[in-house]
Amino acid sequence: MGICYQGKTLKEAVAEKEGIFKETGYAYGLKEIKLVESDPAKFMRFQMRLVASCIGAREMAKLISANPMSLIQGELLFLLATPEGDCVSASYGLAGHVQAFPFMIQAIAKLGFEEDPGITAGDVFFNNDALYGAPHNADCYNFVPIFYKDELIGWTVGLNHIVDVGGLQPGGLGTISPSVFTDGFTVPPTKIGANFKTHKWWDLHWKRRTRTEVFNILDDKMRTAGSVALHNRVLEVVEEFGVDYFRQGIKEIIERERRVLIERIKTMAVPGMYNYLHMNMVNYKGIVGKLFAASNRDWFMHQPAEMHILPDGRIHADLEGLTSEDEFHCNGYESALRMLTSLGCWPMFAYTQTLNTALQYMTSWNIPPGSLFNPQNPFAGTVMSLMQVGKYIWMYQNCLSLSFFSRGYLEECFPQDPAGVGYGLAGVMKDGFRWAGGDMTLITCWASGATPFKDGDPASVCSPNPAADQGEAELAEFLQPTNLNIGRTLIPNYCGHGKFRGGLGTGICQMIMEPGQSLIAAVMGATSGQGRCALGMSGGYPGLSDVVYFAHDTNIRDILKEGKPYPTHFVEIGQWLKDGRLKAGSVEVFRGSSPNVPLKDGDLMACASGARMGWGDPIERRYGLAEKDVHYGWITPQAAKSIYGVLTDNKGQVKVAESDALRADIRKVRKEKSLDAKDWWKQEREKVLAKDFSENVRSMYTDCLKWPKFRREFMGMWQLPEDYKV
Amino acid sequence: MEEKRDDRFPTENVKLLVEGTISWEDAKKAMRLRPKDKDRFWKYLEVLQQRVPWKDKILLRISDHLYIVAKPDAKRVVKCDCGHEFGDYRVNWKLSCRIRVRRTVEEMTEVFGIEEATLDPSLVELREYYCPGCLAQLATEAVPVGYPPIVEMLPDLDTFYREWLGKPLPDERPDWFQNRTLEAPARWMEEG
Repeated sequence: MGICYQGKTLKEAVAEKEGIFKETGYAYGLKEIKLVESDPAKFMRFQMRLVASCIGAREMAKLISANPMSLIQGELLFLLATPEGDCVSASYGLAGHVQAFPFMIQAIAKLGFEEDPGITAGDVFFNNDALYGAPHNADCYNFVPIFYKDELIGWTVGLNHIVDVGGLQPGGLGTISPSVFTDGFTVPPTKIGANFKTHKWWDLHWKRRTRTEVFNILDDKMRTAGSVALHNRVLEVVEEFGVDYFRQGIKEIIERERRVLIERIKTMAVPGMYNYLHMNMVNYKGIVGKLFAASNRDWFMHQPAEMHILPDGRIHADLEGLTSEDEFHCNGYESALRMLTSLGCWPMFAYTQTLNTALQYMTSWNIPPGSLFNPQNPFAGTVMSLMQVGKYIWMYQNCLSLSFFSRGYLEECFPQDPAGVGYGLAGVMKDGFRWAGGDMTLITCWASGATPFKDGDPASVCSPNPAADQGEAELAEFLQPTNLNIGRTLIPNYCGHGKFRGGLGTGICQMIMEPGQSLIAAVMGATSGQGRCALGMSGGYPGLSDVVYFAHDTNIRDILKEGKPYPTHFVEIGQWLKDGRLKAGSVEVFRGSSPNVPLKDGDLMACASGARMGWGDPIERRYGLAEKDVHYGWITPQAAKSIYGVLTDNKGQVKVAESDALRADIRKVRKEKSLDAKDWWKQEREKVLAKDFSENVRSMYTDCLKWPKFRREFMGMWQLPEDYKV
Repeated sequence: MEEKRDDRFPTENVKLLVEGTISWEDAKKAMRLRPKDKDRFWKYLEVLQQRVPWKDKILLRISDHLYIVAKPDAKRVVKCDCGHEFGDYRVNWKLSCRIRVRRTVEEMTEVFGIEEATLDPSLVELREYYCPGCLAQLATEAVPVGYPPIVEMLPDLDTFYREWLGKPLPDERPDWFQNRTLEAPARWMEEG
């Protein structure tokens, strides 16, 4: 006798859910959604009660946390799921995670948890292991079964992004980890509590296996308390509506919203094939490779997608050609891919009544075994899988933007490109106190990219978290007193340029103060010299790279002591160093992630991110917009001239006739410096034949050309002999 | 063209949206339309057709300047608003452009504006695709040397018009929805 409806086991219920969808094309086989159709008002009340319960649980529980990412930046989520794991409703926060939870229930069903350790009322489970559905180990899930009498009728879940995972590097966004053994504290599905309480032994794990025990223990209590509170609220809803209504209603939510999503795509998109590409570097050679021989190389990651909008309104993405799995930190699994990429769906078409798992019933992926997102090595490192899977958020946003543009729904276009800089800190204070911390200011709030009819906005969006919030510098300084914020600002010219430009990206600048015995920073950045995105939109340029800038042994303390102005972002640091106003013993600049960098008193650490793409030809930008840019100092007169073909006078007013002439000149230069496609092809082909590639590009092609589809396209484009090898 | 006009978002507003001069308030009205105006595509085509100086029937707009148009000789070609034609829409139109490649930090900084935040030329080159007719910049790509130009979009026009819009095109054929990009380099190879 199983715990699910009509005595089915969890394993049987999960298998039935999957089978019946394949067979009928309807979620849970629901050809009719009787509750929705017979009394929509009652159904809406039912659904909104569930949403309110999730939000209530979140708002109560987050006050238990001391972690600023949960408390202030919204990196948490509470949700209700069906017995089979489909999310039915959720609070606001880390919305994408509704897609990952079904994988966890699938996993515990297959692992036979129902028999051992058993699933009973009051149990508390935990998982942060990517192999079993967690996107990466910083995202920790606590979940509680809901029983009505003896029947499992659902799950309540609390999850959040913790401060430190106890990996090789401080923080939760490690960029060095050859395997799961260096990822840090990774726990497969485990029963961690009973009678709605977690066991005492569980706290010891946080204490001994991570750097930030207090944050992590409180976060754990927050997740459990929120899940239990939500559990109790849901049972009240069950009492109010009846268990039969509840059991049927939560399935109808999924099926109804699947239909809404399909209809929305058919209304706003154009069927066909769309392409997307992202690339970025992972550098291990000579750094990590000294200790881990199999990782002694660099990788130029190749992340293509051929996205199909199918005649029936579903969306399929083919990732053939994706870089192979390897001994690095950024392998991932389908759960992570679906989790993070769903964030590209919410703003484009999946904004339905609730956050839910309906997307899984209308999106599909081809992820070849052995590729980055389908690793065959069960010990693959995944601590920062999100770095790579996240790049496909923008497959949805950019391909669908083009599609909506073609259909005439320009107002729904929302193209973006990858962004985000976050850092982890670890140190020992003067008195021997060991501590660690991290910050996600530049992950939780970015500028938006341009659209076909307007500029992007600064500090306005966060793709991984629909509730964008940069947090409070004061709170960060209270928790991390070694890092004093001396700049948090929008940076002039720091945007993707175009007829409409992206919003200006944000920079932070911190002075290191009295770090004590030691301090290191490990910074994760979304870019690495390849730009934000391989494809600009409609002639606009992709966004500008993330920047991580360290100036060591500076004279900043002297400057501050004298009460003089000081640099507030990386561009100013560079300028001040050039003209001698700032002095530094050494400088390190990264267009993305850094390794572990030791920091001393008086060092400067400046990071910048969120400078996202433009739309359209920059020399078609309206003069009125360009004038405003210069007037407010968003674009410098020099950049207005070279990028936009706009000349301004010393009052910042556009000189129209001169600008017209300059734009005509730019078109002439375009003609002079460009080649006819066939001539360009001949030139480029010669380079391909001569294998005139840098080492990183060569190794990327060597890997990708083993995939038949990419090989066919590459060989066909350059008309290469069959035996061509890189 | 359409049976019943949905005036909740009138053609004049579609025109402003296309021009990029619509007010934020009116843009938000468009965003909030529930359900969306299902005749938007026809209004859009009407606005677009009025903006171009030629008479070929626009089937689909695929970028700021480019359209797939129906030609009288039963061809569907990509055409710029300046009038320049790029040939069969099933072949990537980028292979009919003028192409500029920026390969150095200096060249890239010219259009990125900040040297530290530009591209690494050992990894990627910055390609700019221009219309041979009006030299408008139609696309940009930051890709490694030798990377095949990316087909951004290949619409399934017959499914779109027949099944989604309910107005089949007169020249429907099963081979319209095919990526024929590789025919161009094969032809160039033969031509030498």
